[in-house]
Amino acid sequence: MRALSKILRIAALTSIAALSACGGGGGGPIAPASGGGSPPPPPPAVANVLTVQVDPGPVPTQGAEINTLYTSVTVCVPGSTTQCQTIDNIQVDTGSFGLRLVSSAVMVTLPVETVSAGNTLVECTQFADGYSWGSVVTADLQIAGETASSVPVQLIGSSGIPAAPGTCSGTGTAENTVAQFGANGLLGVGVYAQDCGPSCVSAGSASDQYSSYYSCTASACQPSGTGTLAAQVTNPVTLFGVDNNGVIITLASVPAVGAASVAGTMTFGVDTETNNKSGTQRVVALDPDIGEFQTTFNGQTLPYSVFDTGSNGYYFADSSITQCTGNYAGFYCPSSPLSLSATLQGENVSGTPVGTAYTVNFSVASSESLSTSEPTYIAFSNLAGVLPSTGNTSLTGSFDWGLPFYYGNTVYTVFEGYTSSVATGPYVAF
Amino acid sequence: MKSRPGIDRNRSRAPHWRTGLLAAALLLPCIASATLGQPEASVRADATQLKGSIQATDLANYRVHEIQLSSGTVREFVSLDGHVFAIAWSGRSMPNLRQALGEYFDPYVAALQVTRSDHRHVRVELDNLVVQSTGHMRGTFAGRAYLPQAIPAGVSLGDLN
Repeated sequence: MRALSKILRIAALTSIAALSACGGGGGGPIAPASGGGSPPPPPPAVANVLTVQVDPGPVPTQGAEINTLYTSVTVCVPGSTTQCQTIDNIQVDTGSFGLRLVSSAVMVTLPVETVSAGNTLVECTQFADGYSWGSVVTADLQIAGETASSVPVQLIGSSGIPAAPGTCSGTGTAENTVAQFGANGLLGVGVYAQDCGPSCVSAGSASDQYSSYYSCTASACQPSGTGTLAAQVTNPVTLFGVDNNGVIITLASVPAVGAASVAGTMTFGVDTETNNKSGTQRVVALDPDIGEFQTTFNGQTLPYSVFDTGSNGYYFADSSITQCTGNYAGFYCPSSPLSLSATLQGENVSGTPVGTAYTVNFSVASSESLSTSEPTYIAFSNLAGVLPSTGNTSLTGSFDWGLPFYYGNTVYTVFEGYTSSVATGPYVAF
Repeated sequence: MKSRPGIDRNRSRAPHWRTGLLAAALLLPCIASATLGQPEASVRADATQLKGSIQATDLANYRVHEIQLSSGTVREFVSLDGHVFAIAWSGRSMPNLRQALGEYFDPYVAALQVTRSDHRHVRVELDNLVVQSTGHMRGTFAGRAYLPQAIPAGVSLGDLN
């Protein structure tokens, strides 16, 4: 996507010089969705509504981020009400768990978690493209009006620890700075409470060559269990005193040509207040083991499908759609926009489909045309990326319902083991 | 579970975990020597030591070594003249690509720094290397890397997974 971003950036600089020429419709901020099947929630009875928005991100001069959802979080030294800082440009991500902050964006001094005397807990967070390396610290958080105390948070790129060991850095590129990461932090509000879970607790995991957690002295790091689940980087919503069973993300619709920004909200809790009722919705149960469900598309069953605000497009395999080339390689470039549909259905821990199957319609336009026709736009509802067409591996058995799925939609995410009036999580409903 | 190759759904359960640890520890030198573009000889030598952890399958135009890790599966595709021309992986975490890609790892990382993705999807296409990768925390990671000029005749990209 950065390729698209870079193209966009070059074009954006040109456009800024001639901004008045960009008079085409749909470019301004868009209010949260008010039509189309999902009525807006009533005014909040408590401060459980967080403002979120799609915008160019923290370093637009180095490449605007596409389809990336951001918000702000207030971070305090544990126990303090004065040593606090509100940090913006934090990406909202339903595909990860826990808060991560890039250290250069953090001005308050947060205490590090220790594994044992003199040994700090450090995490290697794996992404498909690389890793983020940094200490686990604790912070008191204020998010909208909700609060959580002593939350384990990863401080990415933190100082005073050894460099990432080869078992961490061997996964790809380093993402330890704001520019590398594309955000000041990542707010993981997916279906799990912890970012690793039971497999990272025991000392037995210490020999795992792909461990997430390490015990570090000032000079060396060893793979390590976290000792307890509570020590792991934790989805802060699960630590709120109330409204802690899930989140509801509502984003404005985006026209076919795209938009310069998108407004929205993330409401905490499901069926806990007057403004977060479930109502009538389509419920997709997620496999509690891997947080995934089943999509049927073009007659293919795709059991590793995900809902993910952290994905910047729809991602799927369809060899009949023309792919982009050059700087847009990896995205679809159909000669004219396509109207497609797929069927979504929950699955249980055995991967067996459960519940009702729902048909969802979506559009795919040419990524290159979108970017070149409106160079200042960074939100596209019809952007789709290519997964390889091969066999039934998890690379190809997936349909990734990324941020475009959330445009003009209200999407409920209920956490593993938590219950709403509709069902027990993990599930996603829309 | 049967319909989902490549994913060890018991990863968090202790007995499987401990079995996996041994394999993982032994596999390090194996993967290091079975690198993209390199000869397969060392893979074959290590296969004896690894016993059930590695399995070779001969096909018409190539051979596949399938390596079971505690966190998933790595498959290495070897041409009939004995060179690794592709690697594919799937599992609960990323494999060590520095070992698997060998000399191609640094160009791969350099390309990522220019075309950084959304953390969830990678598609790097260099003149002599293609890498595709996807994955989610606590979900599944999968991907493949291949040398486009080294793919033997009669092998399609659809075979490389």
